[in-house]
Amino acid sequence: MSGFEIINPGILTLVQDKGRFSYAHIGVTSSGCMDEYAYFWANKLLGNAKDCNVLEIAFPSFSIKASEDISISITGADLSLSINGKYSKPWSTYNIKKGDILKFCKSLKGVRAYLAVKGGFLLNKDFDSYSTTIKEGLGAIKGRALIKSDFLPYTPYKHNHKKVLKEKYIPSYDETLVLRVLLSYQKDEFEEKEKEKFFASEFSVSPESNRMGMKLNGEKIIPKISGIISEGIAFGSIQIPSSGQPIILLKDRQTIGGYAKIGSVLAIDCFKLSQAKNNTKIRFEEIDIKSAQEKMKDFYLDFDN
Amino acid sequence: MEIKLASVDSVIVYFENVISLDVSLKVKQYLEEIKKLEGIIDIVPSYTSILITYDIFNYSYEQFVFILENIKVNTLSSNESKIVKIPVYYGEEVALDLRSISEEKKLSISDIIDIHSSSTYRVYAIGFAPGFAYMGEVDERINMNRLENPRKAIPKNSLAIANEQTAIYPQSSPGGWNIIGRTTLEMFDKSLDNLCPVNVGDEVKFFPVSKKEFLKEGGVL
Repeated sequence: MSGFEIINPGILTLVQDKGRFSYAHIGVTSSGCMDEYAYFWANKLLGNAKDCNVLEIAFPSFSIKASEDISISITGADLSLSINGKYSKPWSTYNIKKGDILKFCKSLKGVRAYLAVKGGFLLNKDFDSYSTTIKEGLGAIKGRALIKSDFLPYTPYKHNHKKVLKEKYIPSYDETLVLRVLLSYQKDEFEEKEKEKFFASEFSVSPESNRMGMKLNGEKIIPKISGIISEGIAFGSIQIPSSGQPIILLKDRQTIGGYAKIGSVLAIDCFKLSQAKNNTKIRFEEIDIKSAQEKMKDFYLDFDN
Repeated sequence: MEIKLASVDSVIVYFENVISLDVSLKVKQYLEEIKKLEGIIDIVPSYTSILITYDIFNYSYEQFVFILENIKVNTLSSNESKIVKIPVYYGEEVALDLRSISEEKKLSISDIIDIHSSSTYRVYAIGFAPGFAYMGEVDERINMNRLENPRKAIPKNSLAIANEQTAIYPQSSPGGWNIIGRTTLEMFDKSLDNLCPVNVGDEVKFFPVSKKEFLKEGGVL
């Protein structure tokens, strides 16, 4: 069988796609690529179907060897990919030859890199999705991160026309992010001065962040209530426990929870947030639902081939 | 009923701000109506609310809210819930906290088992982990606070109580509930088409089994 042999699995390399839907009612989270912008581009550059599986690589040292020729694309974070020792920029396709060695050497920009192969990896879906959620044990490769003995099969492919994304479409992963927020849920359980503080303050990404959520350090935003009757948690929800430290809930979030939520971050901005390194500065600004939905639609329509 | 914005592609419907059988029945009936709609991505029913994620290419926020506002639920209909029967071995080697509950509540262990297994419980919510069903109400005679020091690892399939709720840990995990038994029923079973044997709104009855029956059904001590 053709595919990638694993030389070094890295610390957290996961098979992902857009996510697992229609199981939230029994507590299964949506999972999926943290950065859908990079995910969709990875497939689009190769002319793949929009929902092809990819690898989400969260830390360097991930290294693989190709057993046959294959076209790949790399998007998202710049983890200093070397192909046979030569630095290879993200947001581009590469024609990989039999025996080539790929290694992600160190973290330069962003957090998560995406690697797609022409046609996708030949794996099986688990409950309608390839996405891996470690805490649930669900996903294409036994619901866990890659290990050394794994093998990533693909159908060999030669001579793809090389594509490099235009500079203007490549995110810069700046050190300050402005996240657009829809005030929602328990917004009325926060006094006006707390809401003003929330929009006027600068926060920073805490190292205690992961695929479940991004914790923020900064001003304490205190809700009037200590908790609520547990209820469903939408992607991007900004949960604020009585300690006052906001946490933005992302792809591997719990499906229900009992903390007050001031609103939710626009999904497109959550994708940017997932590339924010520790200590990245975060500010919030309000958006209305009409513009928010227009922006989301534009985002998805751009990736329809 | 109150409908609120949750996120760019989801809304949350609140019924009443109180946990009760009546509210749970409303949640269940409304849920059945939502399932009939096109363009629904995910639904998370809970004690008093339902979060609905919808396809924004099917509906705008205003259109979706309008549809939800016009869903009629017949609050007079009777409680026709499915009853799921769950076997439990209440033996002391798996019921890690039965003895301390017995001491605190001044009840014999067999009284506690009788009280727990004679009630019918309702599934109010599923979350925390896949297949973790929050069921109530636990008889007030055995209403126990969560442990002061949560356990680092509660064995898979443990039956537990905390305040007015009871639940089964579908997988080994940390937790602070009081452990009173163990079942052989998988609450999150990847080999099943429906993954989880219960849904929000179902009723559950626990029935005691002997150690022999428990082991025969594949129970692990």
